[in-house]
Amino acid sequence: MTTLDSGVRRRTSDTRPVITDLIDEATIESIAQEAWISLVGEDEVLVPLPGGPVADPVSSWVDVVGPWTGSVVLTTGRRTAEELTRALLQEHSPEVLEDEDVADAFGEIANVVGGNVKAALPGSSGLSLPDVGEAPALRNPDDLCRIELQWRGEPLSISVQGALPPLPAVP
Amino acid sequence: MRALVIDDSRAMRRIVSGILEGLGYETLQAGHGREGLDVLEGLAADPLPDLVCVDWNMPVMDGLQFVSAVRSNPGWRSMTIMMVTSESEHTQIVRALAAGAHEYVIKPFTADAIRGKLALLGLLPQEAML
Repeated sequence: MTTLDSGVRRRTSDTRPVITDLIDEATIESIAQEAWISLVGEDEVLVPLPGGPVADPVSSWVDVVGPWTGSVVLTTGRRTAEELTRALLQEHSPEVLEDEDVADAFGEIANVVGGNVKAALPGSSGLSLPDVGEAPALRNPDDLCRIELQWRGEPLSISVQGALPPLPAVP
Repeated sequence: MRALVIDDSRAMRRIVSGILEGLGYETLQAGHGREGLDVLEGLAADPLPDLVCVDWNMPVMDGLQFVSAVRSNPGWRSMTIMMVTSESEHTQIVRALAAGAHEYVIKPFTADAIRGKLALLGLLPQEAML
């Protein structure tokens, strides 16, 4: 008798890597520190300490699609994102920042951090253009590597989070 | 010397242009590959840029498509193309060089890294060498 596999039931051999199998917090922090020094300023450091709750949060992120699929999400307060934009633009910063300026600069930081996270993952992956707004929902709490930092005393987090829900449990 | 900086991020265009201008370049800017081709086509009798710094991931036309388009035009072969991008996978670097880019700078970079690449390419303006 032939048994057809509908593909619905998960086999014990089915696995999908979660991000903590592929990258660790120290690597993400090192990528972020390098990006900060290059983009924000040579004297700018990220302090690896939780900065408490974020007021008026805004996120920027890029999606990674490949053997592991998910997003690299930076989250901070809107005022901190504006400060980051001014630091990036330096003397080119307009007196009054438009939302577009903040989206552009904060998105570019996500692009640089995300591109280097992607390069640290095994295999070849694609990278989306950056997006800015409300962070993508966390689909699988086990597929998350998150670091909490402070920049100029303000909280900033970087989450590398999977886009897929958890696989059903094997009976 | 003249450079064309192509990046969809205005912040990044300003950073790269600022570094090049500090070295003595006159810069032109474009927000994606298609706009970069428009700038080149619009130069008419003006001299072509000596250097093009181009990002990879951009809307409308990405950096790789831009490099291929430039390399398919015999009149544009004199320009040196440097990819400046967060695409740092080895396979991507090989693809860019195979398409016709001369150099590859990975974001994040420092001003010294750009200067070093230009020195290797023989594209450091005289005033930057003093």
